[in-house]
Amino acid sequence: MKRSTLLLLLATVILAGLGKAFWPQDTSPQAGYAGLGEQASGFAQAGPGHALAFPEDHGPHPGFRIEWWYLTANLESADGRPFGVQWTLFRQALAPETGNNDEASDSPWQDRQLWMAHAALSTPQGHRFAEKFARGMALPAGQGQAGVMAAPFSAWIDDWSLAAVSADAGLDQLTVRAEADDFAYRLALTAQGPLVRHGEDGFSQKSADGQGSMYYSQPFYQVEGTLRLGDEPIVVSGRAWLDREWSSQLLGATQRGWDWFSLHLAGGAKLMAFRLRGGGSEEGDYLSGSWITPQGQVTALGEGSLRLTPVKTDDVASRELPTTWRVEAPDHGLDVTVSAVHPEQWMGTSFPYWEGMVTLQGSHVGEGYLEMTGY
Amino acid sequence: MRPGTASPGVLRTTWLTLFSHYRRHPGQLAMLLLGLWVASALWSGVQAINASARDSYARAETLFSASLDSVTRRDNQPLSLVTYLSLRRAGEPVSPLVEGDLTLSDGTSLRVIGIDPLTLPGESGLARQQSDAASLRDWILPPHRARIAPENADAARADSRLPPLEADPSLPPGTLVTDIGVAQRLLGVETLSRLVVAPEQSLALPPTLVRQSAAALASPGQLTDSFHLNLTAMGLLALIVGLFIVHAALGLALEQRLGMLRTLRALGVPGHTLIIAMALELLLIGLLGAVLGIVSGVVLARLLLPDVAASLDALYDTDVASHLSLPWYYWLGGLAVTLGGLFSAGFGMLWRAARLDILALGKAQAWRARLHRQLRLQAGAGTVLLGVALWLGWRLDHQPNPQELALGFAMVAALLLGASLWLPPLLAGSLGLLSRRLRSHPRLQWALADLQLQLPRLQLPMMALLLALSANLGVGSMVGGFRLTFLDWLDQRLLADMYVRPPEAQYTDVAAWLEGQDEVQALLEARHAEAPRLDAEGQTTGRTLALFGITPAPIMRQSWPLLDTATGHEAAWQALDAGDGAFINEQLAHRDGLAPGDPLHLRSPQGPVMLTVAAIYPDYGNPRGEAVLSASHLTEKFAATPGSLGVVLRPGSRDVAGLQAALRERFGLGGDAVVDQGAVKRTATEIFERTFAITQALNALTLAVAGLALLTTLLAQAGARRAQLAPLWALGVSRRQLIGLQLGQLVSAATGTAVLAIPLGIGLAWALVAVINVAAFGWRLPLHIFPSQIAMTIVLAIFVAALATLLPAWRLWRVPPRQLLQEFAAI
Repeated sequence: MKRSTLLLLLATVILAGLGKAFWPQDTSPQAGYAGLGEQASGFAQAGPGHALAFPEDHGPHPGFRIEWWYLTANLESADGRPFGVQWTLFRQALAPETGNNDEASDSPWQDRQLWMAHAALSTPQGHRFAEKFARGMALPAGQGQAGVMAAPFSAWIDDWSLAAVSADAGLDQLTVRAEADDFAYRLALTAQGPLVRHGEDGFSQKSADGQGSMYYSQPFYQVEGTLRLGDEPIVVSGRAWLDREWSSQLLGATQRGWDWFSLHLAGGAKLMAFRLRGGGSEEGDYLSGSWITPQGQVTALGEGSLRLTPVKTDDVASRELPTTWRVEAPDHGLDVTVSAVHPEQWMGTSFPYWEGMVTLQGSHVGEGYLEMTGY
Repeated sequence: MRPGTASPGVLRTTWLTLFSHYRRHPGQLAMLLLGLWVASALWSGVQAINASARDSYARAETLFSASLDSVTRRDNQPLSLVTYLSLRRAGEPVSPLVEGDLTLSDGTSLRVIGIDPLTLPGESGLARQQSDAASLRDWILPPHRARIAPENADAARADSRLPPLEADPSLPPGTLVTDIGVAQRLLGVETLSRLVVAPEQSLALPPTLVRQSAAALASPGQLTDSFHLNLTAMGLLALIVGLFIVHAALGLALEQRLGMLRTLRALGVPGHTLIIAMALELLLIGLLGAVLGIVSGVVLARLLLPDVAASLDALYDTDVASHLSLPWYYWLGGLAVTLGGLFSAGFGMLWRAARLDILALGKAQAWRARLHRQLRLQAGAGTVLLGVALWLGWRLDHQPNPQELALGFAMVAALLLGASLWLPPLLAGSLGLLSRRLRSHPRLQWALADLQLQLPRLQLPMMALLLALSANLGVGSMVGGFRLTFLDWLDQRLLADMYVRPPEAQYTDVAAWLEGQDEVQALLEARHAEAPRLDAEGQTTGRTLALFGITPAPIMRQSWPLLDTATGHEAAWQALDAGDGAFINEQLAHRDGLAPGDPLHLRSPQGPVMLTVAAIYPDYGNPRGEAVLSASHLTEKFAATPGSLGVVLRPGSRDVAGLQAALRERFGLGGDAVVDQGAVKRTATEIFERTFAITQALNALTLAVAGLALLTTLLAQAGARRAQLAPLWALGVSRRQLIGLQLGQLVSAATGTAVLAIPLGIGLAWALVAVINVAAFGWRLPLHIFPSQIAMTIVLAIFVAALATLLPAWRLWRVPPRQLLQEFAAI
């Protein structure tokens, strides 16, 4: 559900953060999150029974309000130092597509889509990040400042991109690159397993009232590449996880934020788990997750089969954040302590959140990413 | 009642008694108010203009585009969306901007700026602006939103083409900001005017594009400082001249009330009660005058502002609101200056009243000793001031420095004040000299002695007249000289009969076709480029220099004006032709202290280039430094794209219209692409005239005030004068003769003043062209003296003096002999 973060991010960042120029400063988290819980009339709605089709679904779904392409990678340099990389492209529709465009003009600027991207590089002690914004443009495919094409797959904003190396590679072989003032990376991703559909064949419910998102992942990437930290090039290798999610109403009206985990376990299994704070039954938290076998088979987890418990908090960016968690999936013999490699992985972007690399101890060892929003 | 204190009742009675004087002499009160009124009106008018313009600049400077660097095409053509997108896809953080002028349905012209809020650098002005009604969604989606300067909101709302509007007080007047797509639709373009980038971002640009740093463009506030300083100086002059009137009126009112004051003191009114009563009187009059003055100042500013706005637009390309917006401190400031001026003028009166000698009766001859002492004092102070002026002038002339604009004005002030202090001693001296010569002409001798008697009273209006006359002459010489030089320079610079600016694709074809035409004598190619300045070590200085490429054809060599060369004109042109020499404009030479022979380091696309300054040329009206190279070298070294082609026709074949038509027909060039020389010259001259319209208007007003000062002084003392003239009349001098004498007195005093005003005016003109102008604009003008203007000044002085004598004379004419007799008897 990091995706929800993103949603939030998208909605709020774009509308409030980005648009701070145009808006009175109204950045209380509640107001920010409200955008994601808002009724989305005129937009397509995610729901069960919506069959995913590839490669079409790798591309954008402009009928839905929000969508993202979200990559996180746990990497290691030749000398054993841990690094983390995040690359995310968000799309948000400002208004439903009406089919018959009411704009009299064919101006390329007349488009309802907004794009936002975040790139981050977590180092053993530090964290660097950057963000970009773009508006959609009514131009032939592939020509705008930002956009996504399903096949050959390509997602980009300015010079940041996540793209297939060849026309028939689907999402199996990608190159990701981003460059900011104080860091850059270029990584080659090779999928070692199949795409994974979360929830009910790709419909991932996000609250007890039933709204949710379409959600699939490619958690099996092997990564080789180079980071640049200041002027220092560092050769790295490791694992990456790509999330694809789109929705028109991600959150229940009362949900405040979420904690989201993507974990690579020793032995090849993966765990995706999230907790939406508020919006569960009896106004409790809403829990959901996926247990993914090394072969890519998915078992949905939920209330009763998944427990996420904050263990220790740190003071990060003037906030109390749970940087150590106990994660339990009893049916799969999982009981691990998930700890941030270090707490300073705050994304001080227009809409801020915590996104960083974590390590696992306990029944399983491993590594992964944790995202926390709404604190 | 204890001595030294007074009950409120006493104060009231005293005050009423004192004030009753004005009931008997309403003319004096009117004169006092008039002086305050004009002084304060001119001053507040000028201040209102300045305050309003500054407000406009402040808003222009906070506009986002003012703090961002610009990227444009070298050939100044608009950019395509493809260019923008390819830069973005290459990772360059540029943001697109569309700019243009839109005429509203009511005829108002708006500057439309279209932005893309998503890429606009975040710390710039627009990103900081907030508005409660709009959101990004409203901005980007139909019907969109636009922000507009509040001044233009009403006019814009009536225009149905515009999206829903929000008034934004932080926008400069005449500015509308909207989404880029809307701006393109409004302006009917599909291209981008320029790209902007945050100044701290580095960019890798293709050679066809050029970046211009925001810092390289001086802010309008800086550019126009000198203009406003000029206005302020004019306003100050008017204030001083007006205060002369006030001083004269107050002095007269005191003189005439001396008897009353002594009586009041003798009746037991304490001295300080008297002072308080008089101070209260001053305060009341001051407040009234200030309010009148400020109100009319605002009216005056309203009248002048459109001219000022036009001048500023023409000179500096800055938009100034053509209606007033005045901050609160403006009103307080106007009041403070008026009251301050009044009390400084009234201080002498209060001082003398405070030291009133109760027992002193009219000492008939005491004034003579006092006058002599005063004249000596004035001459001394005047000498000191003139010395200061000389020293400042010498200093400024030898070490020109743009920072010393204020010193320049200080010099002018010292010069004017010193000279006016010398005026009464000089007049008195010449009167004394003359009267010794005229012992055999009793009537003339009497007239001279009588004029000397009037001198204490007349000296202030005469000083005011001197100031106004010399300002008139000085400013007139400067403007006239500037006009001559400028028109001459235009003729030299606008060599070609017409100018063609073909699109880049057609450039070579057009050039070749023109070469082939029989009536074309020469083609003068002009190109523009910009290059970063380097220091002697080859390090970037952060400044860019505008480069201008010309064709050093023989006709150009004969005509292009050069001010200074290293080794003669011929050598300078050879250096330019060879490519190792550059001409720089006077502004650059002045600002950077460059002289012919000095090196000029620039970075070209091929690497550092060192040029030698071969010559300095005048470049009037250009606020920026500029260097000239030959067009071919500019193209070669700095990748300058084609600019305009000057077409020189053979003598005898001046068919500009025919050639224009042929070009239009053959290449489809129309509109702005072909301009004939006459049109360029007309525009330039028009801009010039407008620039000085405001100066001349203020100048005329100052002279009018000086005339008023003289008139009011004469009117105020008309009664007293009649008493002095009555004995002469009784002795048999006819009234016609008396009036003639009076007229002669005044006219000769005014002529004396005008004679002194001539050297003073020339000195002022010199200070303006050689000191103030250099400091303010970076160019020096030759000093032109116009004999006709000098003659005009003398005539003007005589005319003003005659006019001022006329009304009292007419009154004297109409006084029945009986009254004259009575007045004689009363002496």
